[in-house]
Amino acid sequence: MSGRPKTDLGARLRRVLLMIPWLLEEGGSTVAEIARRFETTEKEVIRDLTLVMCCGLPPYGGGDLITIVLDDDGTVEAWPGPFFTRPMQLTPREGFAVLAAGRALEAVPGTAQRGALASALAKLEAALGASGTLAVDLEAPPHLATVQRAATAGERLQVTYYSAWRDDVTERVVEPLVVHSRDGRWYAETRDVTDPAAGPRERRLRVDRIRSAEPTGETFEVPPTPPAPPERLYVPGPDAVEVTVLLPPTASWFADWMETESVEELDDGRLRVRLFVEGEKVLERLLLRVGPEAVVESPPELAGVGRAAAERLLGRYR
Amino acid sequence: MEDRFERLTNLVTFLLDQRNGASFAQILEEIPGWPEGEDARRRAFERDKRVLRDEGIPLIEEKGLYRIPPERFYLPDLELTEDEQVALRLAVAAVPGSSELGANALNKLTLGTGAGGDEPVPVVAALDEQPILPILHAAIRDRATLRFRYAGGDEVREVEPALLFFREGNWYVVGHDRLRDARRSFRVDRIDGDVEVGPAGSFEPAATTAEEAMPRQAWLYGDAAEPEQATVEVDAVLAAKAIADIGGRGTVERRADGSAVITMPVTNREAFRTWVLGMLDHAVVLGSPELRADVIAWLESIR
Repeated sequence: MSGRPKTDLGARLRRVLLMIPWLLEEGGSTVAEIARRFETTEKEVIRDLTLVMCCGLPPYGGGDLITIVLDDDGTVEAWPGPFFTRPMQLTPREGFAVLAAGRALEAVPGTAQRGALASALAKLEAALGASGTLAVDLEAPPHLATVQRAATAGERLQVTYYSAWRDDVTERVVEPLVVHSRDGRWYAETRDVTDPAAGPRERRLRVDRIRSAEPTGETFEVPPTPPAPPERLYVPGPDAVEVTVLLPPTASWFADWMETESVEELDDGRLRVRLFVEGEKVLERLLLRVGPEAVVESPPELAGVGRAAAERLLGRYR
Repeated sequence: MEDRFERLTNLVTFLLDQRNGASFAQILEEIPGWPEGEDARRRAFERDKRVLRDEGIPLIEEKGLYRIPPERFYLPDLELTEDEQVALRLAVAAVPGSSELGANALNKLTLGTGAGGDEPVPVVAALDEQPILPILHAAIRDRATLRFRYAGGDEVREVEPALLFFREGNWYVVGHDRLRDARRSFRVDRIDGDVEVGPAGSFEPAATTAEEAMPRQAWLYGDAAEPEQATVEVDAVLAAKAIADIGGRGTVERRADGSAVITMPVTNREAFRTWVLGMLDHAVVLGSPELRADVIAWLESIR
């Protein structure tokens, strides 16, 4: 349904079917204002209005569709007729877009005006015959609200943070700039000011890996425009190693779930996955979860990582 | 172009006025601006119908009669308060991907009464966008069955859809699978090829929620009648994460050193093992004896 580009005719029809009820609601406007609102030229607006004046029901005697008076000075007056006093019903795509956005924002803890949002969505769902048809589940990790408040209020936070890359826990002081959800996980884009001598560093934290978060009492200046979240969550750092792993077909869930560079399906159904890893812990997790059929193709010095990790964990069961 | 646009606009108003429908012959007679020749007129009408449908105009064709039902064409006045308008505007701004379509929708909903202002809004959540989602959602609204192939399987699934939901980066459609005669959740990006949407009003809706359809804990999937009770020790580094993961479905004993012993039901051993091994050295399965033996055997097969 989104495959074919909308024709100019379609776009124009859409504009006119919104312009008429808007004009009626306003009781009148000017050509310049209409052009600005509907993001088109004054010439187009005059063309649309002239045409609308001619349309209606057979036998086209005038006064059927809408009465519009277009003055030489550019003022437009409008009186309702039997048609187009209301805008068109939302298309399935529009209805879905606004409901999904609304349900997503509703799922964000600390959303202002949650009551108004909930009642607006209830009205919209009722009008679309869509009550209870769409849900967005963004699980809120324990320290999300603290980090969001700090980002809004400009509070420095002392955090205890678990790094899955390194499989260790560190204490850091950060200034959270923006908190966002991607693929159902919450991230905070922060300035890490732990080491004053080294200067601030950009650091992305996964909020569910924050073990504790306390304001330090210091503040920072909140940027006037919140920075946009990054396009890509993982950009390999200078220490990243490119690894190629062969996975059995049953492990395709893994390839969807992780940030991979490429996934190639082989003739026998196995997957050749290229990814960057920093440290061996991520690779250990992958190999232990997928099991004995997972094979590290390259680099050769990492071929024994899975076996070694299995041996080490078995030590805890003896 | 001008003629064609005029014809289209007249076609919409004419068909809105036809409670009982109008035949193609009547349409040709009543509305000016058609090309010469029967074939050319037929082709022009087909093109016009396509534009109307592409724009989401509900053009109904029954027994050769055409009409546009006004009650489906017009958006009812939702009487949104100013606060409600602001809230919807914020939502569309805060969730990228919805912005252009969402802006169209807002224009219709608020008729540009303009509440909401232009102050920057931080992006808070990104939802994966797929063209098929509005089609699935419309099918749920219309109570239309879906037929599709799934996850590389050969059989055609026939589903009465009830809910579309987003979790952990994926959209799922939940519904009654007629083949299995049971409720199933399908990950939307694993649907193969096109989805065939059946006629509207094909079934009675069965309300469900995301939590009911798909527990967040993967180790609770599966149809085992009697769950096994697992006991897992998690050290201080990951205890809080593990407790958050089980989401209250289990009991927790915290120890003075920050570690925890978690007792939890398991109906899917593979998912349980995956969860435990993801914690590497921070977690050990203490029981049941069977679950512990399962993890040991798995690790030995890798070693």
